[in-house]
Amino acid sequence: MSSDIILVIVVATALAFDFTNGFHDTANVVATSISTHAMPPRIAVAYAAIFNFVGAFISLEVAATVANDVVDAGVITPTVVFAGLIGAIAWNLATWYFGLPSSSSHALIGGVVGSAFAASGADAVLGDGVLGKVLIPAVIAPVLAFVAAVIAINVVYGIVGRERPGPVSRGFRFGQVISGGMLALAHGTNDAQKTMGVITLALIANGTISSDADVPFWVVVSAASAIALGTYTGGWRIIRTMGTRIIKMDAAQGFSAQGAGAAVILASSHYGFPLSTTQVISGGVMGAGAGKKVSAVRWGVAGNIVVAWLLTLPAAAAIGAATYGFSQLFGDGAAGPVVISTLCLAALGFVFVRRLREEPLPA
Amino acid sequence: MLATVIETKELLQTVAASLIAGVGITAAFAILIFGVTRSADMVRSERPLLATAAGALAAIALLVVITSIVLGIVVMTQK
Repeated sequence: MSSDIILVIVVATALAFDFTNGFHDTANVVATSISTHAMPPRIAVAYAAIFNFVGAFISLEVAATVANDVVDAGVITPTVVFAGLIGAIAWNLATWYFGLPSSSSHALIGGVVGSAFAASGADAVLGDGVLGKVLIPAVIAPVLAFVAAVIAINVVYGIVGRERPGPVSRGFRFGQVISGGMLALAHGTNDAQKTMGVITLALIANGTISSDADVPFWVVVSAASAIALGTYTGGWRIIRTMGTRIIKMDAAQGFSAQGAGAAVILASSHYGFPLSTTQVISGGVMGAGAGKKVSAVRWGVAGNIVVAWLLTLPAAAAIGAATYGFSQLFGDGAAGPVVISTLCLAALGFVFVRRLREEPLPA
Repeated sequence: MLATVIETKELLQTVAASLIAGVGITAAFAILIFGVTRSADMVRSERPLLATAAGALAAIALLVVITSIVLGIVVMTQK
């Protein structure tokens, strides 16, 4: 009974994380479309939410990686998964509060690794999987998006550089409806699957399903719905950071950045690499800016983002480990997760309301 | 040790697919815009043959863009 209560709390927490992931990350997805006036903010956000939902259904490779290749499902418990989720949510909210587009994905993996380490030691962490499936792709993917966007924008300027700017700009703004949709689809594919993976991991740890079982369909639908709802709620502060503070973009740059980002995320998702979509999109945005003019990129802002990236894994891991330790003060039962959930809900409500009061939504 | 951990084949395929799709689709879309713009200009200059050629180029580019996107999604859903 106690483990079932914890499992319910874990599923609810995972879906809350998925919601914050949509809230936090999808701002990055729509920022370029908004920055180039390809779409008004509210329509861009609603559009991204729909494609996020659809994207969650097109692959399960990343979910399999998170469930099987990061921590040893055989030795962890639902409480460990819960503590990892709290680590990820806490770090996500902190970076959202300060307007830093850090990685929700690395926060999630960092949180789960930290709590697993605190619970069962180093043996619970699958080092090969973390290195080969998470860390190395994490380094390669944003660089790849940067390079693809640099090449793409130069090819674009080579083809249409001598044409009249009006029709070209209108054409690429229309194109951003497609590339923005593809980017939202890619984001839904990669990020919703991480939540599916974590819920599946908790179900395996609880003994509800076997370790070789497929991701249950209700998990897919609920993760897709949560990320789409989070997306629709939006994250206006980060939209400003991504869309205008890194570079000022024209529509061709926006199209190139989104196209490069979508291509990298979809290709990586196909092979089960749980990427940071934030990092990839940032790489694409910076590449599209640097491809036109290196000084167009505000490298200082980009540097702040890199610092947030570097801090994410260890910070989320530390919070995950601390949360697990705190929950153990209440014993192995459901009391720890219940107390922590209550405290988190109170803190989350306070921060959320305060931030929304400070920042009215743009029209 | 590192060599056994890195999934070299998958990573290389990811790099190749990302570059081909990211650059290729963007280039095809740029050709589409080029074709449409030139076709409109040629119509205005009353040069129907060149307008048709530019329109055909745009149509081919549109086909490439649509096919690439559909193919990419089909590949994603079939693993």
